[in-house]
Amino acid sequence: MENRTAQIQNITYDDGIVKKFMLATIVWAGVAFTVGLLIALQLAYWKFNFNLEWLTFGRLRPLHTNAAIFAFAGNAIFAGIYHSTQRLCKTRLFSDALSNIHFWGWQLIIVAAAITLPLGLSQAKEYAELEWPIDIMITLVWVVFAVNFFGTLARRREKHLYVALWFYIATIITVALLHIVNSIEIPVAFMQSYPVWAGIQDALVQWWYGHNAVAFFLTTPFLGLMYYYVPKVVNRPVYSYRLSIIHFWALIFIYIWAGPHHLLYTSLPDWAQNLGMVFSIMLWAPSWGGMINGLLTLRGVWHLVRTEPIVKFFVGALTFYGMVTFEGPLLSIKSISSVGHYTDWIIGHVHSGTLGWNGFLIFGIFYYLVPKLWKTELYSKKLANQHFWIGLTGVLFYYISMVTAGITQGLMWRAIDPKGQLVYPDFIETVTRIIPLYWVRALGGSLYIVGYILFVYNIVKTIKSAPASQSDTVVEYAAPAKSEQITSPEQGHRKLEGMATVFSILAFIAVLVGSLIEIYPTLSLQKYLNPEQMTEPYTALQLAGRDIYTKEGCYLCHSQMIRQLPDDVLRYGPASTIEESMYDHPFQWGSKRTGPDLARVGKKYPNLWHFRHMLNPRDITPNSIMPNYYWLAENNTDFFILRKKVSVMKMLGVPYNDNMLANADRLAEDEAKIIAEDLEKQGAPKGLERKEIVALIAYLQSLGQKAKVAAPVAPQK
Amino acid sequence: MSQDNDKEIKGHDYDGITEYDNPLPVWWVAGFIGTVIFAFIYFLHYQIADGPTLKQDLKVALAEIEKVKAAQPADILSEDELGVVFNDQKNIALGGQVYAGKCAVCHGNDLQGVIGPNLVDQYWIHTKGTKVGMVHTVAEGVAEKGMPPWKDLLKGTEILAVTAFIYSKKGSNPVNPKAPQGDKIETY
Ligand code: HEC
Ligand code: HEC
Repeated sequence: MENRTAQIQNITYDDGIVKKFMLATIVWAGVAFTVGLLIALQLAYWKFNFNLEWLTFGRLRPLHTNAAIFAFAGNAIFAGIYHSTQRLCKTRLFSDALSNIHFWGWQLIIVAAAITLPLGLSQAKEYAELEWPIDIMITLVWVVFAVNFFGTLARRREKHLYVALWFYIATIITVALLHIVNSIEIPVAFMQSYPVWAGIQDALVQWWYGHNAVAFFLTTPFLGLMYYYVPKVVNRPVYSYRLSIIHFWALIFIYIWAGPHHLLYTSLPDWAQNLGMVFSIMLWAPSWGGMINGLLTLRGVWHLVRTEPIVKFFVGALTFYGMVTFEGPLLSIKSISSVGHYTDWIIGHVHSGTLGWNGFLIFGIFYYLVPKLWKTELYSKKLANQHFWIGLTGVLFYYISMVTAGITQGLMWRAIDPKGQLVYPDFIETVTRIIPLYWVRALGGSLYIVGYILFVYNIVKTIKSAPASQSDTVVEYAAPAKSEQITSPEQGHRKLEGMATVFSILAFIAVLVGSLIEIYPTLSLQKYLNPEQMTEPYTALQLAGRDIYTKEGCYLCHSQMIRQLPDDVLRYGPASTIEESMYDHPFQWGSKRTGPDLARVGKKYPNLWHFRHMLNPRDITPNSIMPNYYWLAENNTDFFILRKKVSVMKMLGVPYNDNMLANADRLAEDEAKIIAEDLEKQGAPKGLERKEIVALIAYLQSLGQKAKVAAPVAPQK
Repeated sequence: MSQDNDKEIKGHDYDGITEYDNPLPVWWVAGFIGTVIFAFIYFLHYQIADGPTLKQDLKVALAEIEKVKAAQPADILSEDELGVVFNDQKNIALGGQVYAGKCAVCHGNDLQGVIGPNLVDQYWIHTKGTKVGMVHTVAEGVAEKGMPPWKDLLKGTEILAVTAFIYSKKGSNPVNPKAPQGDKIETY
């Protein structure tokens, strides 16, 4: 007895940092949700962009996704990880200074994103839009986080790592890998850069990143949180330790391969598509392992679902997680992807994940943590219950409307009549059909926000009722007496759980294998190119136009990838080839067709058509939901920087000759004059040659015009 | 679901969280193994064995469509037959709608010509002023000059209707007509 009391130590957990991250989560959630609702309304009624360039869909959509993933979910993850890791390691965080650098650094990144994205400073790669200076900041802050986390692990007083920590480890390592590889880019200006990857290479790297941002930012850390908070709140043992082991390793190993399921039927080589599909299907069971372990942990306490809002949120979250991870593999089956891809079905899918799984888990955890950390009672359980029901209705409205819209539009696109013609050749007809569903979606989003407002009110009231003097949690820790320790030597996984470094290295290897096998072959892009179908590089003016295209986020409504599907070919022309995007840094295949594919729009219309359409699409297509881009006829193209841009492209392997390198700006000016004259002749105003719109038209007219196309896939006349 | 068999694992206590030593659910294991087997077979079929590539699949599907298209009777109407169609007021009314939605952008609300040529004067680049020629030009387009082919975008009846509409506007006097293009056809 004497002996043991001597071993008792006091541990003071850092609650302050957890509280900070929690408050940041709550604030940024508001931003993410509001911007989301705004762009949802824009698709129902375009005027919700108030005819302001900063509020157009293409600029705000990246802000919405980045805010939802990195600001809302990100801050919540950090709060939960810092809170639970200290308790699972029985030690204070490694360094208070690092914790604070992490916190303020991350908020600075988010503020930078909130400023730069509406300004159009974007790399045009989904969820990786932020420009290179911010990319560097992200890397640095992530390293700070990693040092702080692994430092804490190194100081732990518990020998074994609990399953939640395994998931945190995998998260931190993999996100670092994904972010760094996907962001390798060459700057051309303070806030502009070109990625080193091009075409199918960039597509593969981007979706390896994009898919695993979902995996390692929205899934693994949340599974970790689930493994801590669910058993903690309901005070029940975790259902199966063995299941934890198997599903953890299977999940992280398999997840990393699944990226190409975003690229089915594209010009990505078949083998990569096949790998992406089969690994996605194998992902179903490992994903469900987490749901099973979560739900079955509730055995014996199911009655709490009725009375405890926190448990309601947890059960809701796990159920949505189960749905999403079933639907994901389903959507990866080629034939299903051929209907669902590019449609709102995918939008519905990700929102049942973020709103249902991530959102509900976060709300549940916060309803538990706020009273606990602020040392008070939750202001109103009733409000929390209402939050749950209103939020749930919102997610269901959202999900059902989007799946219906997606399947409807997907089927309309592919409908071919008995005469072999498209039934709905006019794209806009397939858009107007689903507009009512866009309103329903906006209603769903609004309900979710109403729930969020109740949440904020409840939390504010709770914190206000907290005692004025707040202090960190202090616990007494007694090292287990010798007699309580298991003396037989440990084996297998149990042994591994005691070795944080070895564990982390193994996790790193698990995610590295799939990454290398999939990405490595395309590093030598040449191998996939047919020398007889090579592409002409863009002219300097077209390059300038392309940068306007990426700046405005056109890729968020338009694809540039005609898939190897008969209906795509009938509608848009011969399937896109690998060569056609071989100089595209970044690739612009897109992932959503709110508007038609543009891969072969070049020469389809006269210049004046584009001029009028860009200024006001409704002049041409009465029901269009595309924004007006009138400022393109007011702003001047930066010709001067073109030499720099061309030289960076040259460095990346685009074969520009010396004349181009030396005179890019003058060549572009000459080309612009020709287009401006043509526009003027057809009735457009004078003096457009220096305007952005002319560069953009040059780019649009070049689409599909740069490469010879393989005969066999062209529809015969 | 009885919990009598649940056994907490000794020594697993993390901040008060304990763990059961339950086995993996059988159906889960079966599902996992099933998908792995499927994955192997699928991948082998398409990658090692001679499962069709996407290109091959596409080629077959397109050939199928071409066959269907080729089997369609070529319903090219003669000048006289078109005369009957063009006189039908219903056609002209439908054609007016099609025109407003698809053609006015380039040919002007009053057919006076904007990007595309004036369609009410006697000057024609392609149609030679005939009804057959007009239907043909609208269906096949002049892609390199910016006149889209409409045969895949409009139904056959709509193409006839819109040409009937244009024909009905013959000789109207729009304000700001575009300067004549093409040859003067005295008979139009
Ligand atoms: C909110 C989604 C949205 C955004 C953002 C958007 N578009 Fe569109 N776009 C559409 C829709 C819908 C259509 C089809 C209706 C129409 O013709 O306007 C369309 C049509 C087009 C067409 C005609 C295609 C064809 O084959 O008829 C072009 C060209 C085009 N957009 C270019 C652009 C460019 C360039 C940008 C970026 C500056 C852009 N769009 C941004 C939705 C969008
Ligand atoms: C994108 C612009 C555009 C649209 C839309 C368009 N046209 Fe044209 N059209 C043109 C141009 C340009 C020409 C002239 C082609 C040339 O110079 O060879 C033309 C030529 C024609 C001609 C031949 C005129 C001649 O002198 O022989 C006819 C007939 C015609 N269009 C009918 C239509 C009809 C009917 C529609 C709607 C279904 C339509 N066009 C839509 C641009 C357009």
